[in-house]
Amino acid sequence: MSETTEKVRKTLARRYRAEKRFKAFGIGSIGIGLMALVLLFTDIIGKGHSAFVEYEIQLPITFDAEVLDVSDPRDEDELNYGNYQGVIRDALAERFPTVEGRQDTRALNQLVSTGAGYALRDMLREEPTLLGETRTLWLLADDDVDLFLKANEEQREDSRLNEKQQAWVAELETSGETRMVFNQSLFSYGDSREPEQAGILGAILGSLFTMIVTLVLSFPVGVAAAVYLEEFAPKNKFTDFIEVNINNLAAVPSIIFGLLGLAVIIGLFGLPRSVPLVGGIVLTLMTLPTVIISSRAAIKAVPPSIRQAAMGLGASKMQVVLHHVLPLALPGMLTGAIIGMAQALGETAPLLMIGMVAFIVDLPAGPLDAATVLPVQIYLWADSPEQSFESLASAAIMVLLAFLITMNTLAVILRKRLERRW
Amino acid sequence: MDRMHFGEHSSTQFNEALESIRNHLMEMGGLVEKQVVDALQALLQADSALAEKVIETEKKVDNLEILIDEQCTRVLALRQPAASDLRLIIAVSKAVSDLERIGDESAKIARMGLQLAEEGESPRGYVEVRHIGNHVRNMLRDALDAFARFDAQKALTVAAEDNEVDMEYASAMRSLVTFMMEDPRSITRVLNIIWSLRALERIGDHARNIGEQVIYLVEGKDVRHISIDEIEKKLKE
Amino acid sequence: METAQQLDKPALGTNDAARDKAINEQATMTQDTPYPDQTVGKPFVDDPKMRLRDVEVFYDDNQAIHGVSLDIGKNEVVSLIGPSGCGKSTFLRCLNRMNDTIDICKVKGSLHLESQDLYDPKLDVVELRARVGMVFQKPNPFPKSIYDNVAYGPRIHGLANKKYDLDEIVETSLRKAGLWEEVKDRLHAPGTGLSGGQQQRLCIARTIAVSPEVVLMDEPCSALDPIATAKIEELISELSESYTIAIVTHSMQQAARVSHRTAYFHLGRLVEMNDTETVFTKPEHDLTEAYITGRFG
Repeated sequence: MSETTEKVRKTLARRYRAEKRFKAFGIGSIGIGLMALVLLFTDIIGKGHSAFVEYEIQLPITFDAEVLDVSDPRDEDELNYGNYQGVIRDALAERFPTVEGRQDTRALNQLVSTGAGYALRDMLREEPTLLGETRTLWLLADDDVDLFLKANEEQREDSRLNEKQQAWVAELETSGETRMVFNQSLFSYGDSREPEQAGILGAILGSLFTMIVTLVLSFPVGVAAAVYLEEFAPKNKFTDFIEVNINNLAAVPSIIFGLLGLAVIIGLFGLPRSVPLVGGIVLTLMTLPTVIISSRAAIKAVPPSIRQAAMGLGASKMQVVLHHVLPLALPGMLTGAIIGMAQALGETAPLLMIGMVAFIVDLPAGPLDAATVLPVQIYLWADSPEQSFESLASAAIMVLLAFLITMNTLAVILRKRLERRW
Repeated sequence: MDRMHFGEHSSTQFNEALESIRNHLMEMGGLVEKQVVDALQALLQADSALAEKVIETEKKVDNLEILIDEQCTRVLALRQPAASDLRLIIAVSKAVSDLERIGDESAKIARMGLQLAEEGESPRGYVEVRHIGNHVRNMLRDALDAFARFDAQKALTVAAEDNEVDMEYASAMRSLVTFMMEDPRSITRVLNIIWSLRALERIGDHARNIGEQVIYLVEGKDVRHISIDEIEKKLKE
Repeated sequence: METAQQLDKPALGTNDAARDKAINEQATMTQDTPYPDQTVGKPFVDDPKMRLRDVEVFYDDNQAIHGVSLDIGKNEVVSLIGPSGCGKSTFLRCLNRMNDTIDICKVKGSLHLESQDLYDPKLDVVELRARVGMVFQKPNPFPKSIYDNVAYGPRIHGLANKKYDLDEIVETSLRKAGLWEEVKDRLHAPGTGLSGGQQQRLCIARTIAVSPEVVLMDEPCSALDPIATAKIEELISELSESYTIAIVTHSMQQAARVSHRTAYFHLGRLVEMNDTETVFTKPEHDLTEAYITGRFG
């Protein structure tokens, strides 16, 4: 007895050391993971947060009918061809009366975004009585001005604005004629060449339509396939072969699915390029293995005793599946589908192949309109030369991440809510 | 045929309990057998010391009875024995009470022996006592043997012998009654001898009971309260 | 040999060496277990409910049941006992074709429920299972309400057209299963919230709700505590008045308590089938004896 205690005591210290090492290793691993996550988030948020706000410049605008060349604001044609830039130019000239010469005047006019004119038009359309009146308005600043105002002292030296422009903007800033507002255009416009007018709504809608197509196709098909394989298919070489292939399919690089979509769906069936319908079909192919595998796992997790009970009462195979197996497996299946959707949402490569990478300004209205999706939009912006697009890309990443986290949370909540103990 | 086997239980403790019960029963059987032999000797040879010894042994036998009963109760409660184990426990607990009664009867004989020894020797009736005594002793021995060997055939012969003992007892009775009528002065002494014969006859009945328990134990058939012929018929079924 | 040594101690007061020797011989004699080739006892009854002859079951090439023939009488409780893997459960599952779900399982022989051939290709298993119900080892109520559990069978078989009829079936079934008083106030609570014993009685209620003729029970008490077990056993005795019951059990005492006849299976063969009392006091076959007294292993 005492001899054993002695021996045990000797090994005890070593055992504790080993345990501590193992714990430290685990904590270290988690630490590295957390650090990577924190780095990623700080980088993205640091770059992207400024894209959620934009600067405006205050100018007294006179809706002069002559300058605008608009006699009746109720006439849509006249309204559309109005010279709104002229009104802005006049207002700027009035604000800075000392500016002379073509070059300086042009530089001055560049302070306000080209999109400000459209805002004036919309205002006039809403309120036709404005014609001939003068109003002090906040107009969207150009992206370079925006960047300049958002930057700190050091960064301002690298600004693309020339010295005169910098002086004007600084003057406006000190006199309180600039203000920072929430960037509404980010969530209400499609893509644009002008960073201050570019938004992600088009990409969000494109993603939404694509996801709807993917969900509508992959969930029923995946569940049906899983139920058949699990409950009805005879166990033989052929079904084994199918099973192996489904598992392999999950490991196929996604770009291959893009090539397949290009060759078969666009090439063979002649569906249009760049549309969410095709994107959804391609992503369905990609998500199906995930959905099938997770659905099969969920079906397998239904205790055989429930099946036996139902069969013992004389339920047919179909009744067993519909009344007992599916309701019990549904939470697992939904979780699998949502995780598959989340994967698809973040997918770029196959969509590049089917042309969803085009520059599309108009918001898509349905799955048959040309559109792009969030990850592709991010790719496009990250590739653009204008500096402002960098922060826009980061902002889009934040939005995408928010969607992914929401979907995963939804999966967890669904699982918790629907899961029944048996 | 013979299915009474021990030592194969998956539970060693159960084995040990059954073995212990069997051993104690054999020990008790041995004691009682010796008691009967000694009681007879004490009576026939007017050996009062031996008679005292027989009466003393009584206590030991009683203690063994209590011990075996306890063990049987424990096995019943803890093991829920079935089939041969169940029959063994039932047979043992019944045989034990028969053995105890045999012990009582031999003590009775020993007490008669003491009285007769005080009153002086008289050869009348001793022949019958010796004769029936031998018979009964053999019966008891055979019954215990049958129990030890689980031998139903031998047990059957015990039952058959009991019939003979009963007949001999009846004839001995008749001759002793005649003797008492001839010589009324000897009535007290002869009565003592009659009591002894009566005790021997009871011992024979108990031996037969033990034999019947052996048949129940081995064959699983209840053969109490029926004639020898019927027993044989039942065993052949 | 250990036991032989113990016996070497001479019994006090007896010098009969021959007797001691006899005891030793008895004790050390090893029992050869002869292979069962024919069922002993009384496997058949007059006018049986189920008539099963030469039943053989194969899993692929492995034969699990070898030529088992027995009858189950009307309103009789028959228990099937035997060591693990002896085929008693497999045999039981042949009786309502639960083995059909196993692809590699093949059943041969003649199995009849009254005049109906169980393995007639024209017979629908759904119909058969409505006549031969089954209760399983682990209580397995559906994750639905108590009411829905009991009503499930009648619903799928269309036994009740109106809500009123269904209510009545549910109530009588629960009453027969001795559960009504305990659950009548919470019929719509989940069945899985009941205790183990109640769950098993719920499963029995669910089974008898379709009014089967035969109820098969596969170790119905093995997951229950003694009190719940006692209640189920009581229930089995009551149910035997209106149903024919076949029960597989690992508890020999249970078989002894609830059944009229007991069948002992060994290595896929029916060794002995006899009145329960006979099996437990004086079994005819050595193997039965050895199993009953716990001399296996």
